[in-house]
Amino acid sequence: MSSLEEQTEIIQYVPFMSFVHPSFWHTLTEQKLDIDKLNENSKQIFGRFTYRSDLGSIFEVDGTSFNSTPENEQFYLNVKGKLLNKNTIEDFKNIDKASLLNTVGEALWKEIKNRKWIEDPSTLLNFIVLSFADLKKFHYFYWFAFPAPSQPTIYLGEKSTSISNHFKKEQLESLAQAFKSLDLEQKCFFVVTKSDSVVIVETLAEVLLKKGFSKDILELDFTNTYFGFADSSNSNNPGWSLRLFLAAIFDLYQNLHKNDLKIIGLRCNSNGGVENSLIFTIKASQNIQAVESAGWVGWERNDKGNFGPKLANMSASMDPVKLADTASDLNIKLMKWRLVPDLNVDIMKTTKCLLLGAGTLGCHVARNLLAWGFRHVTFIDNGKVSYSNPTRQVLFNYQDSLGGGRMKAEAAADNLKLILPSIHTQGIVAHIPMPGHPIGESLKNETINNVNLLTEAIKEHDVIFLLLDTREARWLPTLIAAHYGKITINAALGFDSYLVMRHGISDSTATGDASHENSFIPGGQLGCYFCNDVTAPGNSVKDRTLDQQCTVTRPGAAAVAAALAVELLAAMLQHPAGVQAPAFYNLSSETENDIPLDMQGVLGPIPHSIRGFLHSFQSVLPTCAKFKQCIACSDVVINKYKEEGMEFLLRVFNSGTYLEDVTGLSELHLAAEMTDMLALSEDDDDDA
Amino acid sequence: MSIKNGITIEEFIESCNKFCEISERLSDGWKFYGNEVDKYKSYIKKCSFLQQVKSDINTLLRAEFVIFYNLSYGVPSFSFNVWNSSGVLLSLEEIRQMSLISINKDNFFSIITQQEHPVLLRPYFVIHPCHTEVLLRELKEVSKNIIVTFLGLVTPLLRLDLPFEYGL
Ligand SMILES: [Zn+2]
Repeated sequence: MSSLEEQTEIIQYVPFMSFVHPSFWHTLTEQKLDIDKLNENSKQIFGRFTYRSDLGSIFEVDGTSFNSTPENEQFYLNVKGKLLNKNTIEDFKNIDKASLLNTVGEALWKEIKNRKWIEDPSTLLNFIVLSFADLKKFHYFYWFAFPAPSQPTIYLGEKSTSISNHFKKEQLESLAQAFKSLDLEQKCFFVVTKSDSVVIVETLAEVLLKKGFSKDILELDFTNTYFGFADSSNSNNPGWSLRLFLAAIFDLYQNLHKNDLKIIGLRCNSNGGVENSLIFTIKASQNIQAVESAGWVGWERNDKGNFGPKLANMSASMDPVKLADTASDLNIKLMKWRLVPDLNVDIMKTTKCLLLGAGTLGCHVARNLLAWGFRHVTFIDNGKVSYSNPTRQVLFNYQDSLGGGRMKAEAAADNLKLILPSIHTQGIVAHIPMPGHPIGESLKNETINNVNLLTEAIKEHDVIFLLLDTREARWLPTLIAAHYGKITINAALGFDSYLVMRHGISDSTATGDASHENSFIPGGQLGCYFCNDVTAPGNSVKDRTLDQQCTVTRPGAAAVAAALAVELLAAMLQHPAGVQAPAFYNLSSETENDIPLDMQGVLGPIPHSIRGFLHSFQSVLPTCAKFKQCIACSDVVINKYKEEGMEFLLRVFNSGTYLEDVTGLSELHLAAEMTDMLALSEDDDDDA
Repeated sequence: MSIKNGITIEEFIESCNKFCEISERLSDGWKFYGNEVDKYKSYIKKCSFLQQVKSDINTLLRAEFVIFYNLSYGVPSFSFNVWNSSGVLLSLEEIRQMSLISINKDNFFSIITQQEHPVLLRPYFVIHPCHTEVLLRELKEVSKNIIVTFLGLVTPLLRLDLPFEYGL
């Protein structure tokens, strides 16, 4: 053993650190989808590293890496490599990494053995990327390797020193100039010869293939000759590429291990100066081991410092579903950032809405919910899309009405997904049983089944929208929603009028007219759709202005009512008291200012109901309390339902008068002719 | 002062070219990417590495700055992205926290929004032009190079060193 080996340490090369640009994944994806498909053949790609002294050993790939000729960038060198993109995660995991690297290395070594690198030193550099692209999730698993032989062992003769210890200032300038004029593929490895004042930079070929030079013995003046390489490292150790050059040259010249070699690790600063370069003095082991007998190394460590693959989760910027979701969220966030700083954005995302009815109102409500950032919408409807529907029921199109028509609930959910794929939506086909619509023995099971479907759906949601086209159909969901304490929003249409209202959720002790002396009614004590109506919802043929099946309405009525229904919900959710938000009597722009701020809510005070009239383009905001004998939300009805459950419901369905008996309404029935909309008529300002 | 006209695409491209000439002299890294098919898709771009030190962990990030022509406002627009070594873009909140951008939290999200880049067709963070438009139009008359003037308006928001040699 020589004295050098005893005193010195084994050279440490600074490995490359891969740096992938997003455009690399974009282009990889395009190529995989459009060109490669299931083809797993390796693909030639380019990577690049810089020898700028202010950056570490970064090895970059981007979208241009797939070009057939690489792009050139100042102070960067391109490296030819291979992409091995596997079709399955199993293939990616199970491939024998050590043997893969050895195979690549042996092929590379064969190339090196034929000495082509002397003329084109850039062929010494190489890299592979093993990858698997999960294009459904936009997850990219990848692992870089920079193959290098584990032999020969090289020692550092002395600590690396600054180049200024070897070259004078003018010499450095001349070196910088000469290096700059080298061809790009010659810049990675070259020869520098120093004589008194000049510095000569030559290509490897110019020196090693000089006439009369031996093929196996290199005889140079090693005191004034330096091997130079574009050094990716910015630390005291040389960059990884030197490893390949040394392996190649020590293999080529059997005599070389007798000499100390001086190596310039060339590092440029931003103006091209080379004064930050280092000199490494190196020597090979005396009993040099052949590369062939050794293995190949070069797999990159991951962020944890282990040898293992990395994962690029690109879904946030590449998955169109996520992008659409984020972008539509932005509308809500902008509202918060620019106008309503206290807006709770998340509550919209988590609130689950059940839409009973997927007709004109249901379609409009669903679209408005989407716009407000709601992400859970379920439809219940048992109708089919008919030819007349698509022009008014804005979630449907002509295709849905063909062949007898699709089920509305399902078509509405599917079409909502076409608008925003990230929405959680489903359609439930079910008929809602109605009071006074007798069900024979044959329909009993089906009715029970429908009641159960509806009950389960109401339990699973936070908000119930009643968007049905008959008054009777609203009874059962009103009762169940009241029983489970769900927010209920009701919208009903007449020819040119509409009603939008919220139902109170009361704890049973708080009912009554306790708040009459106040200027408002607490949200929990507000009446339901039936509270104002002294007639039970029998199978009535009475002429009503609202809620008639097959009612012809002015098209705008549904759009306006649906929009108000959603705004009512949004305002309530944003109110600190939520469903308990008070409803003020005589709410108007003048009286609004008298309402204490903490009762107004983030989006303003919330009415109990909105009754609009298109013929006069006006609306009124009636407010009324729960009715003790209400056939849908009164304690007596809810308790009866609690105690008798399905039995009670079946009795109600089968009898048009049973509810009136239960509530004692029969006794009050003399008032029935008065009106069917006690508090809702236009001129009734006392109650409103 | 009445609002002056914006700049034309020709003026934009000319300013870009001149700006990049200076940038090359200064090795500042701005490059012009002309589009001969659709000149409105021409832009200039600069990439740089950023060191992020968070709880003693040093992370290398890459930032890309793109200035393109905003057709609706007739002014240059500033857009950017920052990503890690896997190519994963940083979120706006992460960018805000690394204080690359000196805008207070309240204004931050209203000034900068992520959107599909009108020229590059991928998600980028874009500084809304309404914050620079009026100023820029006023300064247009006295500006030697509209890109330099524009960057002069934007750089106080972004920690993007702009060498004085541009003639700010
Ligand atoms: Zn009621």
